[in-house]
Amino acid sequence: MPPRLNLTLAFRALSLRATAAAAPPAAGQPLSQKIAAPLVARRFYSDNLTPNDSSSSQIPSSELPPSSLTPTPTEQFHDADAAAASVRQQQQQQKQDNLTALNRLEMVAYGLNPFDAKEEGHKYGLPSLPLPSELHKDHRYDDVMGQITRLLMKDGKLSKAQRDMAMILNYLRTSPPPKLNPLRPLIPGAPAPHFLPLDPVTYLRVAIDSVAPLVKIRGFRGMAGGGRSLEVPAPLAARQRRRTGFMWILDVVQKKKSKGSGRKMFPTRVAEEIVAVVEGRSTVWDKRAQVHKLGTAARANLMNPQIKNFL
Amino acid sequence: MSATNCLRCLKRPSVAGASRGVVVPIFAPRSAPFSTTAVQNAMPGKPQKSMEHQDRSIRVYRAGKRMKIRKKDNVDRGKPPAPGERKAFRKKIVLSNDNALPVPWVTQMEAGSLSDPKQIGKIVSLPPALQDQLRATEAFQPTQTWGLFRKPSTLVRQESVDLMSKMEEAVENKKTARIVLTGEKISGKSTMLLQAQSHAYLNNWIVIHFPDAQELINGSTEYASIPGTENPTLYMQQNYCLKLLQSIKKANEKILAKLLSVSSHSELPQNITVNQPLLSLINAAKEADGAWSVFQALWNELNAQGANRPPILLSMDNLPHIMKISEYRSSAFEKIHAHDLALVKLFTDALSGNTRFPSGGAVIAATNRNNGPKIPSMELVLKQRLAEQNGETEGVPVKDPYFKGYDDRVEKVLKSVEVVEVSKIGKREARSLMEYWAASGLLRTTVDEQTVSEKWTLGGGGVLGEMERAALLTMKI
Repeated sequence: MPPRLNLTLAFRALSLRATAAAAPPAAGQPLSQKIAAPLVARRFYSDNLTPNDSSSSQIPSSELPPSSLTPTPTEQFHDADAAAASVRQQQQQQKQDNLTALNRLEMVAYGLNPFDAKEEGHKYGLPSLPLPSELHKDHRYDDVMGQITRLLMKDGKLSKAQRDMAMILNYLRTSPPPKLNPLRPLIPGAPAPHFLPLDPVTYLRVAIDSVAPLVKIRGFRGMAGGGRSLEVPAPLAARQRRRTGFMWILDVVQKKKSKGSGRKMFPTRVAEEIVAVVEGRSTVWDKRAQVHKLGTAARANLMNPQIKNFL
Repeated sequence: MSATNCLRCLKRPSVAGASRGVVVPIFAPRSAPFSTTAVQNAMPGKPQKSMEHQDRSIRVYRAGKRMKIRKKDNVDRGKPPAPGERKAFRKKIVLSNDNALPVPWVTQMEAGSLSDPKQIGKIVSLPPALQDQLRATEAFQPTQTWGLFRKPSTLVRQESVDLMSKMEEAVENKKTARIVLTGEKISGKSTMLLQAQSHAYLNNWIVIHFPDAQELINGSTEYASIPGTENPTLYMQQNYCLKLLQSIKKANEKILAKLLSVSSHSELPQNITVNQPLLSLINAAKEADGAWSVFQALWNELNAQGANRPPILLSMDNLPHIMKISEYRSSAFEKIHAHDLALVKLFTDALSGNTRFPSGGAVIAATNRNNGPKIPSMELVLKQRLAEQNGETEGVPVKDPYFKGYDDRVEKVLKSVEVVEVSKIGKREARSLMEYWAASGLLRTTVDEQTVSEKWTLGGGGVLGEMERAALLTMKI
């Protein structure tokens, strides 16, 4: 059982005061002087129990060290060592107060009110709640970017995939604006082509969303008679659509020949294919048309009584 | 959409036909049981096999079954990349991006820009003529981010001004500044070297730059012993020499055309007499065979005393590579120390102060951290030099008495060099840089104290390359 009386508390109550506090600034001062107030109103108390006017109250001028605290030496200093120690202490205190003042000036530079109770102790203030999704570590990237980067990943090396993705984006923003093909229109709402290189994330997003298929074909084994499978179209969700579209792009990239070496080669090939998609040159468009054709042809199979239970 | 064919076409399968009341004759021979397809539509049957084959009693000898080897599906029939094409892609240097916006406040670099303390923290662009010169000496590197901006530009840092003023001071006193640039990974040592070269070109110096010391020692160029050298035998690298001469010629063409030779060189493939421009001396090296002697003649001409030569900048990137045993072997199959290669010796002589340039100049070498070998002697000496420069008396590193890997030759070369540490940039410089990025349209945020602080902190407290990685090579644009 711990002792009920804590001796250290008793010692903490002892205060050694050597010098009077300097006169504090008056109440109606401009902000700059208020901020610099700690420089003036230095506290020369050796204990840490005496209320510190700069921390207890936000406006230093309102509360002053009471006049009763002026030199009533509780202990006599006759020792030269102790005097030197107190001088050192003062200097340290002075340094700390200067630091406080500088921090406050810095906060003013950031556009914050240094005496706001909410922002006390926060260098950049507090963020407003609820936090936007990009401030969460798991959702810091655009949703398409996050998904596509993981599709690029090999052997679980995410940071390499992220680097590759960054290089893809840099390729897109240095490439000339794409020349669109009217036969292969982009997704409605896509920005004008000359705008695309300035916003590579949108560039990539437009390419993938434009070429992503709407349906996939499900095969029901043996239901079409004669051991053939019954092909039935099924709609895809947005994420699934993007995945399918990007995997097609990656398939084309894998088959393409590498014309160079080094770490920029793979991202360059992917980026070239993305430009080809936007310009309508890519074979991925044919793949999409094929799937859509099959999907519309197999639409009639949705009425098949056998598969009703499965849908 | 039911079918691609015409829906009402009679030639379509049975159902369509039946629905229209076409009577299929029962007696007609069918192509297949259970099929309702009209006979006339059926495919003509296969011709009957001859009786000979059907009769089992007649033995037919067939040629034996041949083993078929399935061809691999992924046979690559395309043309392979031409020799050097893959490397060319890796080394390709792009210096401009037309999509990036021009930044109005960027001024063009002038002769005094880099040594002016007022320019610290400002961005200056490289003039086109200078770009060509720097390209010729391979001062740009593919890992740097020149290709993202409208014009190649560079930040004037505190260190750059210090370095340039050291160069200027050396020329005023007709001395040679011997400097080694050290610093963290991607802290900007090579860019500092590029700035030193730019300063030299703009002030009409002669620049001789070794873009990568690794190429000299890793056994990738031909070598031969120089006749007449004994103890130690020196080795020349003729192919490298030719390449170097061509880059010197391309980069310093204007100055070399004005400089005249002071002595005749009859030993060269093309006889060079007195008062001929040094450009024609370089032109004498048409093939690798005479390249070394031409280079030597050029070096002697440039260092001729009393001929009013311009100052010389001799620079090398990736210094640690030449501070070790090379990959080359002597005729006795002994390993050759890098300092026994004649070109390396020329550089180390200048770095150690044995060569004096007639009008002064500078020898600047940059260490590398990423791909460089660890040279204990070099690291020790550079640390000692740095401590000496800073006036430190305590904590100066000393040799480990139990370690065998020290190299006296390396220590001798570096014992009197000046060390310039390329350190991290401050927040003011970082802010000016980020404002430039934002104005170019590459950083899509407002640049305020908070973003500057954020990128500065993400970049290891102001390591310039890391800041670039955090701001420009990112998925979050």
